[in-house]
Amino acid sequence: MNAVSLPLVTGPSLDSFGLDTVWVVLLKAVLIFAVLVVLTLFNIWFERRVVARMQHRIGPNVNGPFGLLQSLADGVKLALKEDIIPTRADKVVFILAPIICVVPAFVTFAVIPFGPEVTIPFTDTVTPLQLTDMPVAVLFVMAIASIGIYGIVLGGWASGSTYSLLGGLRSSAQMISYEVAMGLALISVFLFAGSVSTSEIVAAQGDLWFGLILAPAFIIYVIAMVGETNRAPFDLPEAEGELVGGFHTEYSSLKFALFFLAEYINMVTVSALATTLFLGGWHAPFGIGAIWEGANEGYWPLLWFFGKVFFFMFIFVWLRGTLPRMRYDQFMDFGWKRLIPVALGWTVLVAVMRLITIEETFDRQSLLITLGVITGLLVVAMFVPSFGAARDEAETEEPDAPAKPAGAFPVPPMPATGAVRGAAPPLTFADSGPRPGPAQAEES
Amino acid sequence: MELYTPVLALLALAAGFAIFSVAVSTLTGPKRYNRARLDSYECGIEPTPQPFGGGRIPVKYYTVAMTFIIFDVEIMFLVPWAVYFDQLSWFGLIAVVLFLFNITLAYAYEWRRGGLDWD
Amino acid sequence: MNDEFTGPAIEWARLWPLFAVFGTALVGVAVEAFAPRSARCLIQSSVAGVGLAVALVGTVLVALELPERAGGAARGDVTAGGAVVVDGPTVFLWGLLVVVTVGGLLLFAERRVDAGLPVFAGQASLPPGSTAGPGGPGEPSYEDWEHTEVYPLLVFALGGMMLFCASGDLLTMFVALEILSLPLYLLCGLARRRRLLSQEAAMKYFLLGAFSSGFFVYGMALVYGYAGTLNLAGVAVAVRAGGGQEVLLLVGAAMVMVALLFKVGAVPFHSWTPDVYQGAPTAVTAYMAAATKIAAFGAILRFLYVGLGDARWDWAPLLWVVAILTMLGGVVLAVGQTEIKRLLAYSSIAHTGFLLTGVLGLQASGDLAEGQISSLQAVLFYLATYGVATVGIFAVTTLVRDPGGEAGSVARWTGLGRTSPLVAGAFAVFLLSLAGIPLTAGFVGKWSVFASAAGAGAWPVVAVAITSSIIAVYFYVRHIVTMFFADPPEDAPVVVVPSPLTSVTIAVALIVTVALGVVPGPLLDLAGHAGQFVR
Repeated sequence: MNAVSLPLVTGPSLDSFGLDTVWVVLLKAVLIFAVLVVLTLFNIWFERRVVARMQHRIGPNVNGPFGLLQSLADGVKLALKEDIIPTRADKVVFILAPIICVVPAFVTFAVIPFGPEVTIPFTDTVTPLQLTDMPVAVLFVMAIASIGIYGIVLGGWASGSTYSLLGGLRSSAQMISYEVAMGLALISVFLFAGSVSTSEIVAAQGDLWFGLILAPAFIIYVIAMVGETNRAPFDLPEAEGELVGGFHTEYSSLKFALFFLAEYINMVTVSALATTLFLGGWHAPFGIGAIWEGANEGYWPLLWFFGKVFFFMFIFVWLRGTLPRMRYDQFMDFGWKRLIPVALGWTVLVAVMRLITIEETFDRQSLLITLGVITGLLVVAMFVPSFGAARDEAETEEPDAPAKPAGAFPVPPMPATGAVRGAAPPLTFADSGPRPGPAQAEES
Repeated sequence: MELYTPVLALLALAAGFAIFSVAVSTLTGPKRYNRARLDSYECGIEPTPQPFGGGRIPVKYYTVAMTFIIFDVEIMFLVPWAVYFDQLSWFGLIAVVLFLFNITLAYAYEWRRGGLDWD
Repeated sequence: MNDEFTGPAIEWARLWPLFAVFGTALVGVAVEAFAPRSARCLIQSSVAGVGLAVALVGTVLVALELPERAGGAARGDVTAGGAVVVDGPTVFLWGLLVVVTVGGLLLFAERRVDAGLPVFAGQASLPPGSTAGPGGPGEPSYEDWEHTEVYPLLVFALGGMMLFCASGDLLTMFVALEILSLPLYLLCGLARRRRLLSQEAAMKYFLLGAFSSGFFVYGMALVYGYAGTLNLAGVAVAVRAGGGQEVLLLVGAAMVMVALLFKVGAVPFHSWTPDVYQGAPTAVTAYMAAATKIAAFGAILRFLYVGLGDARWDWAPLLWVVAILTMLGGVVLAVGQTEIKRLLAYSSIAHTGFLLTGVLGLQASGDLAEGQISSLQAVLFYLATYGVATVGIFAVTTLVRDPGGEAGSVARWTGLGRTSPLVAGAFAVFLLSLAGIPLTAGFVGKWSVFASAAGAGAWPVVAVAITSSIIAVYFYVRHIVTMFFADPPEDAPVVVVPSPLTSVTIAVALIVTVALGVVPGPLLDLAGHAGQFVR
């Protein structure tokens, strides 16, 4: 083992966990719970204010200072609304779905490290600022977060409504599509950290954040996390233009609020995970640690941690304020045909690079030559028509999948020229009225 | 305490909150019976009798689900490899590259056959 | 975490035929993805052909180089960290499997019997009865389409089978079981004619097969609970040491055997056999009937002989019952069959029973009399004769056709001997071999398994086996009689002239069947030379 594979350990490791007494565990659990609920209320307000600024509006500013209590008021309003269970709904599953959705959202936070080991005020108990950790913590987050998808798809299914069903299906297909890219992006982090435990991954980033040395994985993760949380520009399950509200069309009152809560907690979760895995977790940003020695001790790391989380929250809001919603096929194409190949290639590349560094098989010169060759190949590859383009050509000369045999599910016919790609051709009108227009100009 | 038991505390808290919310909303909200309101929402038109009894779901979702499982299992195989990468060294790298090659071949096949296309 | 890791040693010199087969299948997938549709069929069949040729040569080369063990009683090596055992029986079965697969490949590529169309459906998802184009007039019709995936699937199945009979631990065995099964499930549903029957067959095979795989895994877990290892040699050590939770071993072994007996179609796990044999495309049936049995008996032998050899007084009585039931069930149910492929399916069940009789002939090598045939040798030889005859007989059934497909009904074959004596003659020879008439390969095979079982004291089973052979002769000969001594019907089915692909398959199978009946010595010696399992 050499210096590369044995990073500087600063902070708690797996051995620091499992030592808490019952009341410390309960205290931490209640605190996490409270923080998440308050964060949700704050984030909703934050999002509305920021989006409003981006759209030259003011946003909620009436209830409380700066309108901070707006979300709370909305929550109370929801609680006072009628709790509707549609007649065609599957009652049990309909009621269970929001619970299934929201519980995992909370539970994932059990393994997120907020800070180093601290002394609880007014006592001399020392404990890490993290509920627990486990050797497979990141996998635990992924696994529990996947259970949340059940809530969405079951809610959509149990509503007994077309919009809900389609929304639920879409969102589950979307989440699992982007989970693959997300998982592949995480592989390179595990590879460098040599661990799947969150606290050890944070410890491994003592001197250099993974977000910098593994930038492609970081970018893939950020894209995938937006897709995972069904947020704009990937908010297709709730595409109000086509699906009304998506899977929660039929939900009202506090059940609706639970779905809402789950969505916002999930945003915080993926942001916190991104912080933990790529931005050094609770470590102070560069420079600060060098100037000020106490930056990584005591309760100060909470500041850095939440600062980084809010950085991601701002990105979420920024995306929503900036980008239009993608079309579903574009979205799936992007996930399956762009992100996954890139993530796979990156995983192999990063493994090779690391092995070369560890083994020192090649000297620096041959390493540079290899990199040059790879870059050259990539540049050449850019000029080769992509898979998709090749397939489109193949499609025109030989129809691959048979369209619809007799008795198949009825769908409206496709345009004669196939699916519309790019801008639609301008409309032309058969009747030639007195009004001159571009359509007539084209005809003549 | 064990490493995993603290999760139960948070789980109990979250479940309690969720169940309480679902239960309390039936008490706090008004109840005014209205047949139309209890119908499925479909922009005011007569609801289509689709999802239950004979409703069919595009087969695309199944293929996506199956492809997802293949890739997710693949990731599960990659995780232990990544964690013990330094010890496995070249043997691990070659084994995983071969493994990924096989998966990628099947992936290319599915791609070419339009299994990843939505229309 | 700082333990030094040492990778398992892979003996490439012993294993490369296996890798060649899997590599061929992967090349097939790549061809399927990237070659233009019009060229795919040719490329795929050539790739598969080259791969099989390499595998065959490789098997022979590996066989020649096997080191001797235990003073010449066995030869071979345990490779890949105990996962794969390449020994005499393994390479014998490998060779047999590759030969049978070559036959299967030739039948897969046949196009002339169905008026220039491939034997497989254009689209697996086609609903029954749809022959018109997808979008109505003007569109290319389904007739023009072809599933060229069948070739990689065939090679994948072969790879799984080769691994199956070579697996040294139960986990490898399970993986191999799945690799060989999944392609077969798919292939069964691809018949061009009688889609509904074919799809039903695939569905039944898949559901029951998946169920039996579940048994395998559960049994495997229980055996692990007993022995603390999945390695067959390790299980043998634990069994010899005795003690521990005997019941875990017995229940676990029984469950593993359920899955293995399902694969060979032994009563009471036989019910899928007739439906699947009938519904699958005949080329697939020919391949599957022969190859699955070869591979699965390889696995059964290895599991029982290597893993549970010392517990044979525990499993032998149960296997007696299964063997007796299988033989009787097969022949009795075959008597009433009116469909050729169903008839052959029940006959194959009966043959499973005969093979199980051979398996029961296990004796310690010290108990074996001088010059006596060991049970392993007998079963290996029987598998060879059965496999060749099965490929041949199913190949012949593809030739007799009605307008809607193959003439499946036995009644339609009436008088065939007068209109096309050549086809009927070949069919008769294969039937005689399956019946075990002297001067055909089947006789020698049966004689060897019965002798070996009798030598081990399984007299009741042998008695039943002889009885059921006589019953079997009745329905085989009855069929020959209707073919040769009755007048053909007015609308007699057409006997097509196949391309050399099928003709060669039938001819080779015929020659081998007769040759093994007249001079069985060399192959019998080869099976004997393979020796015992290496553990």
